[in-house]
Amino acid sequence: MAAPKVVPKDAQVMTQILKDMGITEYEPRVINQMLEFTYRYVTTIIEDAKIYSTHAKKSNIDADDVRLAIQCRMDQSFTSPPPRDFLLEVARQKNQTPLPLIKPYTGPRLPPDRYCLTAPNYRLKSLQKKVSSSAGRISVPRLSVGAMSSRPSTPTLGTPVSQSVTLTTKVGTPVSLSGQRFTVQIPSSQSSTVKSAMPSTPTVQNVLIKPSLIGSKNILITTSMVSSQSSANESNALKRKHEDEDDYDTL
Amino acid sequence: ASKKMAAVQDGSIKPEPENEIKIETANEVPGNPGDASGGVPPTAPVATEKPAAAATDSTERQTLLAVLQFLRKSKLFESEEILRREAGLLNETGDSQGAGAGGAGLGGGGGADPESGDASSLLSRVAGAVAVAESPNATPAPAKVTGGEDQPDVNVVLAAYSQQGDPVLYPVYYSGLKRFIDSVLDCHRAELSQVFYPLFVHMYLELVYNQYEKEAKAFFDKFHGDQECYYKDDLRILSGLTKKEHMKGNETLLDFRTSKFVLRISRDSYQLLKRHLQERQNNQIWNIIQEHLYIDIFDGMPRSKGQIDSMSGSLAGEAKREANKAKVFYGLLKEPEIEVPLDDEDEEAENEEGKPKKKKPKKDSTGSKSKKQDPNAPQQSRIPLPELKDSDKLDKIMNMKEATKRVRLGPESLPSICFYTFLNAYQGLTAVDFTDDSSLVAGGFADSTVRVWSVTPKKLRGVKTAGDLSLIDKDSDDVLERIMDEKTASESKNLYGHSGPVYGISFSPDRNYLLSCSEDATVRLWSLQTFTCLVGYKGHNYPVWDTQFSPYGYYFISGGHDRVARLWATDHYQPLRMFSGHLADVTCTRFHPNSNYVATGSADRTIRLWDVLNGNCVRIFTGHKGPIHCLAFSPNGKFLASGATDGRVLLWDIGHGLMIGELKGHTDTVYALKFSRDGEILASGSMDNTVRLWDAVKAFDDIETDDFTAATGHITLPENSQELLLGSYMTKSTPVIHLHFTRRNLLLGAGAYNP
Repeated sequence: MAAPKVVPKDAQVMTQILKDMGITEYEPRVINQMLEFTYRYVTTIIEDAKIYSTHAKKSNIDADDVRLAIQCRMDQSFTSPPPRDFLLEVARQKNQTPLPLIKPYTGPRLPPDRYCLTAPNYRLKSLQKKVSSSAGRISVPRLSVGAMSSRPSTPTLGTPVSQSVTLTTKVGTPVSLSGQRFTVQIPSSQSSTVKSAMPSTPTVQNVLIKPSLIGSKNILITTSMVSSQSSANESNALKRKHEDEDDYDTL
Repeated sequence: ASKKMAAVQDGSIKPEPENEIKIETANEVPGNPGDASGGVPPTAPVATEKPAAAATDSTERQTLLAVLQFLRKSKLFESEEILRREAGLLNETGDSQGAGAGGAGLGGGGGADPESGDASSLLSRVAGAVAVAESPNATPAPAKVTGGEDQPDVNVVLAAYSQQGDPVLYPVYYSGLKRFIDSVLDCHRAELSQVFYPLFVHMYLELVYNQYEKEAKAFFDKFHGDQECYYKDDLRILSGLTKKEHMKGNETLLDFRTSKFVLRISRDSYQLLKRHLQERQNNQIWNIIQEHLYIDIFDGMPRSKGQIDSMSGSLAGEAKREANKAKVFYGLLKEPEIEVPLDDEDEEAENEEGKPKKKKPKKDSTGSKSKKQDPNAPQQSRIPLPELKDSDKLDKIMNMKEATKRVRLGPESLPSICFYTFLNAYQGLTAVDFTDDSSLVAGGFADSTVRVWSVTPKKLRGVKTAGDLSLIDKDSDDVLERIMDEKTASESKNLYGHSGPVYGISFSPDRNYLLSCSEDATVRLWSLQTFTCLVGYKGHNYPVWDTQFSPYGYYFISGGHDRVARLWATDHYQPLRMFSGHLADVTCTRFHPNSNYVATGSADRTIRLWDVLNGNCVRIFTGHKGPIHCLAFSPNGKFLASGATDGRVLLWDIGHGLMIGELKGHTDTVYALKFSRDGEILASGSMDNTVRLWDAVKAFDDIETDDFTAATGHITLPENSQELLLGSYMTKSTPVIHLHFTRRNLLLGAGAYNP
């Protein structure tokens, strides 16, 4: 059996605070949360104050540093709503415009697409079934970022046609179709953009395409190798707003 | 700017041995702690400078010089002359008033009114944010000057607190006032006691702002016990506010400062007060009162304590009479005429004998009775409303059919209550809503999910995917059924998307959409056909506490921590209207049945009614003693019921702008209020695990709103809560969060089990 618990002093202080503010019912976790918050807050402030005081080439922290630290934190994390006169002014302006008329029979009334969350968060690129040049060659699906070893062989900037590239990947054998991710060359307008820094890892545009859509057995994998331009491509490509799909490949 | 000159009698208090110079300084002198910094051009509202009563002469001298310089700068040569002359005398007599009379140079081109040679000092007062304070003579305490240099918005506001009077004397002033008010006639005392609380708070805040911590604490300790009990929460917050820096982050208190506390006092009492305070020794209080309080005078009998108590309690005092005078169109919009085809299903009950059914279409008679426009109803086109679609018409027909089967409620026939208890919610249930036809219920949770259940045996289905949709036969009769995907049928659906607890939920009247608002400052629109999120409306930057769809769809309102309520339309990504005016968070927002007005209840304990057309606040209702958590409009649109943390339900007449009833009974926060479908019964649910039914017909029957009442706002509330209470029903330790009357007047309740 443990000795009777002695409540640490800080916790006693918290209890007293709660009592002073008139809060009588609370879960015991609340004390811990308050303590944690206090420690973290005070530590942050003091650290900031230390930074400020060293910046001012003072040897010790003094009240001014602490005050500055508190103020900066307040503006950052503990913002308060705008002042009343500002709100009144904004409200006055907004309330002056008359209510817009409602067009009848417009279907679901939603804001313009870019303000909605209805856009698909994936992108289907048209599959270029380029069988000719690389008939029979089955390439292996690309690997993820880990596959940096892949030869960045074809620089193919700007060629809209899909090119098949074999990657020397770690996996030698083609795997089953199901659940694979295939990349398809983007027939997009590239170029222009940036040949900025070529990222070391070829980022691949991976898209989940239902196997049923892919008729042929020849699966052509093309790298949008143009890794550097891939990011540019994406932005040029279809205007739908979506996030870049993650670059991984699951095998 | 009206200047108020008051002569302050001096000599009553003997100065301390040290030499002190009291100089009335003109306003606009940049605050400077005692040091000479004369010549600095006056800046925007700035606290006045008070000479530091330092022991050293040099400081005084410097201050004098500074003042002289300033006067010269402002071209107040005469005053300067007089001051210069007098300054020579100052060091001799202890109780001379510094600067003589000429010191009062008014910024902004007011002519100073020198009363030269007078031993009394002048007090000049400029209305508005710039307060000129004069130092009363003979203040023994060292005067600290408030620095008004900084100009950010907050400080501009804070600087409205210039120094008024000697801080050490504040307790003296306050006790003096107390003594006076205790000595007046009984009939006046209740009214004049209203002054205590705002005066106390303002004086305390001023002490804090001017950094007189010790004095502030002493002042607080001495007098906070005298205040009314319903201000306890405010006082508690104040007790934690001891430094000037604390005030900066507290928007509510800042607003309290800048807005005038409204008091309604009868003319007789007011005369009494005024006469007393204008006596010389009470000038300070008079100045403070003038600065921070707005006294709305009415002619008539002074109010009794009970009357005052019922109306007071809000953070801004009561409502001025003009605030409640605007015309409000509280009537209902006319129902459109719809042809009601008789169909077979409806006739089942009646035609058991198999008589041939008459298939004559019936005209909807509800709308056609009153051809004339109801004078209290808004025009149909006052605000644009969406047109009635076919599905809406069908819905209305269903509604009417159900209405015929509705149970007529009354004191003799109380509704049955069906209570939905959310189990295993672990105190995370934060919002509930039912659809109008009571087929779906949605719950918002503290883990940021929204869950929709089907109350009827019919399951929830999503719409088929695009591929499948192209395969169905679009011409079939039941195409609406066919678009639903059977594979996705389930009892409940989860909606994920928010990143904070969901505090408000609202179904659209056509059951296609669901709105939810959350602590993550967004309001999300969900489709109930695909059960996905369609739009996130960003506008509030702070938690949003409540949201509601308009009774006609398309519009919705939201109210949050930033103290404004916003009106949105589903197809605009920015709000259409902003209703700003509350002093604290907007905790509850409700549409009027005619969709032209919005009621908002707030943590500043007032309820405001806003006009959707132009965003104006047309009504202010005060009387609650705690933040308001629920509002309900009566179905006829004339009355509003509100419930707050004080456990009372208050009834308001919208047309006249008066409180007409008070329902006491609950012992804890009232979280749910709903009128029955025809307005006969008001149901209220509260944290004390009970649902209470009140007789609404009787409560609204007894109104005698004659001209006098409307003019003065005197109300005498009948103490009839007991008679109005029709029933009180306990749940099994489940606080009631939501109430809903079905179309047939069955009462549904919802809450989370909380053992």
